[in-house]
Amino acid sequence: MNQVTAAQPRWESAVRVIFPWLLLAVLAVLPGVGLTPNIIRLFFITFVWVTTSLGWNLLGGFTGQVSFGFAVFYGFGAYTAALLIDRGLNPYLAFVAAAIIPAIASVLIGLPTFRLRGPYFAIATIGVSEATRVIMNNLAFTGGASGFRIVEERAFRQVEHYYTALGMAALAVAVSLQIAHSKFGLGLRAIRQDEEAAADLGVNPYGYKLAVHAVAAALTGMAGGVYARYAAFIHPQGVFAFQTSIYILLMPVIGGIGTVWGAVLGGVVFGIVEEELVANFPELHLLLYGSLLILIILVEPGGLAGLFGKVYRRWRKRRDGAHPGS
Amino acid sequence: MTFIDFLNLLIAALMLAGIYAVMSVGMTVIYGVMKIVNLAHAGFMMLGAYFAFELYERLHLDPILAALLAFPAFFLAGIAVHWLLVRWLPHSDRPTLQSLLLMFGLWLVLQNIGYLIWGNTDRSILSPRTLALVHLGPITISSLRLSIFVAAVGCMVVLEIALSRTWFGRSVRALIQNRYAGRIVGVDTERTARLTFGIGIAFAGVAGALLATLYSFDPDFGRPFLLRAFVIIVLGGLDSVSGVAVGALILALVETFSILFVPAGYQPAISFSLLVLVLVVLPGGIASIWAKRRRLA
Repeated sequence: MNQVTAAQPRWESAVRVIFPWLLLAVLAVLPGVGLTPNIIRLFFITFVWVTTSLGWNLLGGFTGQVSFGFAVFYGFGAYTAALLIDRGLNPYLAFVAAAIIPAIASVLIGLPTFRLRGPYFAIATIGVSEATRVIMNNLAFTGGASGFRIVEERAFRQVEHYYTALGMAALAVAVSLQIAHSKFGLGLRAIRQDEEAAADLGVNPYGYKLAVHAVAAALTGMAGGVYARYAAFIHPQGVFAFQTSIYILLMPVIGGIGTVWGAVLGGVVFGIVEEELVANFPELHLLLYGSLLILIILVEPGGLAGLFGKVYRRWRKRRDGAHPGS
Repeated sequence: MTFIDFLNLLIAALMLAGIYAVMSVGMTVIYGVMKIVNLAHAGFMMLGAYFAFELYERLHLDPILAALLAFPAFFLAGIAVHWLLVRWLPHSDRPTLQSLLLMFGLWLVLQNIGYLIWGNTDRSILSPRTLALVHLGPITISSLRLSIFVAAVGCMVVLEIALSRTWFGRSVRALIQNRYAGRIVGVDTERTARLTFGIGIAFAGVAGALLATLYSFDPDFGRPFLLRAFVIIVLGGLDSVSGVAVGALILALVETFSILFVPAGYQPAISFSLLVLVLVVLPGGIASIWAKRRRLA
């Protein structure tokens, strides 16, 4: 969250600028070095999770509005893309639609719930996700509870999916960084700290929350759409499950709530750990995440990113020796 | 619909309201005193259900009796959880992100401990009373629901007496009104918060045990009831104990009578629709109506 300050050495701010591009370049050439399809799939899933994590972080991290209902956007995105691709639309246009429909849904949800302060929003999001799943289970044209199978005309190429997901994750990082360094992002953080004071300073909390909710929903919905095209089969108990909402919330909290790179880190750790854990200990993984969540809240609210930052500062202090302060 | 049908539905709604009130009041007192939205309530309700289940299976204890035994057991569990986790949270006048996430993490832990111990098969408690009926002229009442209702009303009355007559109740009411003013006049906030948390969890356990006699359950048991509890406490105005009773009655009436109009598949969406309706029309809950009138008078 801390901005680059004058006290930091020059190489550190250089790293901040170069690092994202370097990471993107490495990830872009990665499929060329002969990875197994399984590893590529792991990367693909991780990109999808990173995107949702960044989306949630915009609302939950920057603005401080906890939502337990992001599966709604993920699911709407997945179904929008699925239905459109099935009708023969270009998948990339379908992904755009998969961002727009959830954004509209987010406004409809936000209009009544953001009018109120306090815990109402968090409570209402649980209700929204429950109600949405119930309706999707009973909706005929999406196949109801038996799910929806996507038939795509084009041949399946895993690398194409990899690059789609990578591009989407990069877009999510870019959007998050842009918001973090904008006046809009400053307003969001003001709302998180003190809504009334923010309103006094000319920030419109209602409008800001609606706007950031829509951006977050668009990113999450697009991730759902990209996932749906890869999976080729979706059903309400999967994409609309409460568990999906839990995952989307856990990632940024574990990684470092309110920071862009913390949310990315959370998505990466989650993507990799999840694959291993679900394969080996299906019952234990949520128990582990729950304990981790409790530990993070009580011991290190900054998450993994906060922990790394602390370790790094201690290391630098020791190295600098005599220099006091930051 | 005949008048007798109407009466039967009305009585069914009333019975339902009793258990709904017990299930929500624990969240209300915890929210009122500590401004924490206790998402782990669902987890403790699930544990309450298994508590009654184990006592019934192993010791053949009557489930209603087990529910009453759940009160001290879950009271102690609540005190332990407060001592271990909750007291480390920063104090605040409004619900914080940390408290929401902490209670959510606790819920995940409880739920998955449930999966570890009992697996994901549906369980149910079938006692001789499950299918027994009481006939009052043309009106039929399930004897099980009647005993649950009596137990629920008993719990609510005891709580109401504790809140209105004891020193502890007075400090709870003081903290609900104003935490700082409460401290100034010498309320031990830490101790009151601890006891309140214990009582809130105890009510979750009792509610879970009572509900377990009516519905089948698995470790995800509490979730649909958590949402109903939310609706009820929002209807009641979040921190008002008498509001809970009114909210429970309204939700029970709406759910019971909506069976006549809404397909069964959409039933779970009803409580949510009611929630949105209340949030839009009456943000302060039902209690704000008479609070406003009092202010005007």
